[in-house]
Amino acid sequence: MAQTKIEQYISCIDIDKKLISNINNGILILDDKLTIYYFNKWLELHTKLKEQDVLYKQLDTIFTTIKTKTLIRKIKTALNIGSPTFYIADISKYLIPIKINQIKASNYTYMQQDVSIIPFDKTKKIVALIITDQTNISNTNSLLKANINKVNILNNELVKERDTINKKVLLIKIDTNNIIQNVSQAYLELIKYDKNELLQHDYFEYLRPFTKEKLLQDIKKYMKSKTVFKFEQKFFTKRKQEIWLKNTLLPEYDNFGNHIGFIFFKENITASKKLQLHQKKLLVHSRLVAKREMISMIAHQWRQPLSVITANISNLIISKELDTLTNETIDKSYEQILTTISSLSDTIDFFRDFFNPCKSLSETYLNELTNKSVYLLKNDFKKYNINYIEEMDQNLKIVTYKNELVQTLMSILKNSLDALLEIKIKNKNIILKAFKKNNYINIMIIDNAGSINKETLNQIFEPYFSTKSKNGSGLGLYMCKIIVKDYLNGHISLSSHKNETKVLIKLPLTIH
Amino acid sequence: MNQETITLTEDEKDVLQELMNIAYGSATTVIAEMLDAFASLSIPKIEILKTTSLLAKFDDLKSTSYFFSTQAFMGEFSGESVFFINKVSANNLAQHLELENNEDIHDAILELTNVLTSSLTTRLAQEMKTEITYSSPNISEISLEQIADTQTFKNYSQVIVIYIQINFKDQKINGEIFILTKDGSIQWLKQRLNSILAALI
Repeated sequence: MAQTKIEQYISCIDIDKKLISNINNGILILDDKLTIYYFNKWLELHTKLKEQDVLYKQLDTIFTTIKTKTLIRKIKTALNIGSPTFYIADISKYLIPIKINQIKASNYTYMQQDVSIIPFDKTKKIVALIITDQTNISNTNSLLKANINKVNILNNELVKERDTINKKVLLIKIDTNNIIQNVSQAYLELIKYDKNELLQHDYFEYLRPFTKEKLLQDIKKYMKSKTVFKFEQKFFTKRKQEIWLKNTLLPEYDNFGNHIGFIFFKENITASKKLQLHQKKLLVHSRLVAKREMISMIAHQWRQPLSVITANISNLIISKELDTLTNETIDKSYEQILTTISSLSDTIDFFRDFFNPCKSLSETYLNELTNKSVYLLKNDFKKYNINYIEEMDQNLKIVTYKNELVQTLMSILKNSLDALLEIKIKNKNIILKAFKKNNYINIMIIDNAGSINKETLNQIFEPYFSTKSKNGSGLGLYMCKIIVKDYLNGHISLSSHKNETKVLIKLPLTIH
Repeated sequence: MNQETITLTEDEKDVLQELMNIAYGSATTVIAEMLDAFASLSIPKIEILKTTSLLAKFDDLKSTSYFFSTQAFMGEFSGESVFFINKVSANNLAQHLELENNEDIHDAILELTNVLTSSLTTRLAQEMKTEITYSSPNISEISLEQIADTQTFKNYSQVIVIYIQINFKDQKINGEIFILTKDGSIQWLKQRLNSILAALI
């Protein structure tokens, strides 16, 4: 069969030589003294040196950066073991210095090379060096190394954050079937359960039946409304210890946006709950104290009218015994007794509903509340020559819990009265000022009973702190603060300067 | 990946041990020439291990910081060698070879890995009448925790471990090399060992 042109061509050429001449690698043949016996076309092109100019010369005299001792050792080793030895681009960078002109993303001035030293003829101590351009791979490697470092840094940060969350944040993850998938260490420590006791169990198994039903309904509503769902929960630890938790519920989605469960972020509010309960108890206690004080004030208030009634009756008896009793005297006494009894009755009516805490907000003129506050104190103001002055717009209205505000004002006014009774000055004053500022009403009660030292001022709103020598429960101002802050949504402060003490109560025009 | 447990019979182990003894003898000579120093190699220990057990074995080397290099060999008998050398030994090796910088130390460790791998496996291959080629060795300075994550080791379900200790007493250079062969190669090796056994009988 006749040969084709290609077949003829292939049979005529020296394939090995042509391949080596055109291969995209540098090929060198050296002996163990580094004498060059072959220098292929690739090397000619890259080094700009002609083969005839380098043949039979020492490689390390042409390329002076070569470490002669190392190369000779590698050549000898290759010949000795009968298999290749290597230079690795990652470590040795290059053997033959070939400048590169890559602009894009090149970190190197010289071509990075892998070099395989292949034993060629052991007896003649000749090896072949195959040089491969690894610049692109080295660039990619250095880029990868830089990114791996970044990823490692980020990963370390994430691991630290995860550890911190695990140790510090109370959280529990459940799937859509309410099965617990993860629990933070912090939460386990709080509830005294072991992780295995919770994982893969129904979350609601640990809740009371009512809480479970209510919570499930709320979660359904929340999922529809897409709002942040928060709720408080009473929980019993494994050791039957009662704790209060504030929960914030977040839905969890997978990478495809499918809802896969919920995360409950929990906050231990046991301490604040206990404080709230304590405050409630104190409030009840303070009401009893206020009631006792008021009854005492009413009794004090009644003493004078009762004296009037007694005097009238005595007058009637004496007049009768002296036989001087006239119809006019009877009528006058009768009228005076009726008026006095009526005033006694008014006093009772005025404070009839005071002891019941207001359950609803109502709009009232502020002066009605101040009148009520000062009603039982007026006689003492008069008796002890204390000037009580009110400065306010008579049309000032407020929407608030009336009885709570009256109790607060009365307590402060009584404090001013008691303070003024303990000092001897000529003009004793109590001024009540009220004015509107923005959406607030400021009420100031100022007395001139002397200044209060800084140490006392710092403690004045603390519970059971009293400066009164006797009959002081130490709850008056503390309860004023609790009522103003927690019930009336306001703010109370006390300042003292020179001989004056000023209590400022700032209340919203309307409680929302 | 073949999950079946492959074992070597006592006879197969004996033959492999003999072949390795021949290989390590020639490796000792080559290394001594390369480093111009007297080297002693321990008699190879041969075991078939699960990858997890191998990693536990590596864990025993944890006491000192070390360099960790690998080199793949290919052919009918294919696998990878893993060479451990601690930093003190690596520095002593650098001193002995009068190396100048860190890169040279890495280069010397790679050379040692290459020499050990080539000399041990070439001779073994010759005895088993096959040929193998080598990829260039790699070095990394990584923690053992990271080794467990290295893909290299995940590619093996079980490995034949040929463990040799290298000791250059005068130069205070110690190292450990593990020759690991892949699942498929273990089957090939068994066949070849049996052929050798049959020829001996």
